[in-house]
Amino acid sequence: MVYVMFMFLFGLVLGLAAVASNPSPYFAALGLVAVAGMGCGVLVGHGGSFLSLVLFLIYLGGMLVVFAYSAALAAEPYPEGWGSWPVLGVMVAYLVGVCVAAGLFWGGWYEGAWVSADEFAEFSVFRGDVGGVALMYSAGGGVLVLGAWVLLLTLFVVLELTRGLGRGALRAV
Amino acid sequence: MNPYILAILLFGLGLGTTITFASSHWLLAWMGLEMNTLAIIPLMAQHHHPRAVEATTKYFLTQAAAAATLLFASITNAWLTGQWEIQQITHPLPTTMITLALALKIGLAPLHAWLPEVLQGLDLTTGLILSTWQKLAPFALILQIQPSNSTTLIILGLASTLIGGWGGLNQTQLRKILAYSSIAHLGWMILVLQFSPSITLLTLLTYLIMTSSTFLVFKLNKSTNINTLATSWAKAPALTALTPLILLSLGGLPPLTGFMPKWLILQELTKQGLAPTATLAALSALLSLYFYLRLSYAMTLTISPNSLLGTAPWRLPSTQLTYPLATSTALTICLLPLTPAISALLTP
Repeated sequence: MVYVMFMFLFGLVLGLAAVASNPSPYFAALGLVAVAGMGCGVLVGHGGSFLSLVLFLIYLGGMLVVFAYSAALAAEPYPEGWGSWPVLGVMVAYLVGVCVAAGLFWGGWYEGAWVSADEFAEFSVFRGDVGGVALMYSAGGGVLVLGAWVLLLTLFVVLELTRGLGRGALRAV
Repeated sequence: MNPYILAILLFGLGLGTTITFASSHWLLAWMGLEMNTLAIIPLMAQHHHPRAVEATTKYFLTQAAAAATLLFASITNAWLTGQWEIQQITHPLPTTMITLALALKIGLAPLHAWLPEVLQGLDLTTGLILSTWQKLAPFALILQIQPSNSTTLIILGLASTLIGGWGGLNQTQLRKILAYSSIAHLGWMILVLQFSPSITLLTLLTYLIMTSSTFLVFKLNKSTNINTLATSWAKAPALTALTPLILLSLGGLPPLTGFMPKWLILQELTKQGLAPTATLAALSALLSLYFYLRLSYAMTLTISPNSLLGTAPWRLPSTQLTYPLATSTALTICLLPLTPAISALLTP
């Protein structure tokens, strides 16, 4: 298990360096996918399985997909990835920086559950994350309706802003 | 714009302000502010020309940054003190961050640079909504926070009055003049906030009435710069006669309504022992007064060079509703004798 967590964290830092090394948006989005996926793995290892699932669905499956489509609109003829020296150089520099920082802060041990839980002896356990979802639908019903209304409003706002394609507000697209 | 979409957007605007007014939890207040920002974006960009889209983008970026800072500050306060209640913030770090975030939201100096450019890219009706309705929700929050740093608020206030005065002096575009006028008035409101929030509320309400009058006058005359204003005297002579009074009320001259907040603020500042601050604020009002006088001079006190046809335009019944203009003009000119009643009404 420790080895799996180690691999996840390794992939996380590698993905972060890949995003920060300023490649083309295609490869940066790929780096973000790797970061989010590895991060979800780390989260599961610490007990936050529900949040990891939500992160995968909403962040990767919703937001990152939209970002990938937007990146596809701004397509470049010669995208730069690790194959070109500027990107590879920055990436190596970041990884060296990570190794230096790791050397400085080496040591110590982190072990702990990520999610808070409230127990009543053998009778019940209230987990912080799924219990929160239950509360959102019961006591927080008003704010849930408000949140849904705001999302609907955002939909109408975006549709109104992009109405007209080339004759509307977005003329460079 | 599609009337259904317009109805949904206006409903969102109203709901956002109402939610912020009714909230005691920072998260709900933030939701109201974000709803306001979202709902006004298509209204600003409805005439899809690039200038309007540029103004919309600038507005969105600044307001989103301010709302994010506000959320960050309330979460920091929740982390530090466990408190989500709006009136119970006592830690100085979140208080200062919230003050600066709200200052960016309404356009106080030195966070004012977006306001003239945003207002310039909008038509007068949307500019009116931006200058009046969009200030209500942030002020509801400003009036409730317990200010921690007295110097920050006084510096924000004095800088706003001075920058509002000096910035407006070189402008020929009316919307930019009104933006700098807004900055100056907001400075006056913030000056007295820590001493008497009810005077801040009074200043806000009188400012809303006065600036509504001004925007509606310019809308009726279809004028957006001083040249057009100068040749609009024959379109509505009664309005031409009244507009100097509206503008001088904005400038804060007695016996017009605009004198009421300035008088009360100077009195409160003096009572608190801040006579030099009061003097500096009063002198900065002279700068604003100069450009209000310039507008009155161009419109009413002189007849600008124009062709003979410009002296006798067709005076058809206006397609614009004139009832709001009539009401707000009457209030802008005649409200000063009611000062004791109004301050009593606004003191809890």
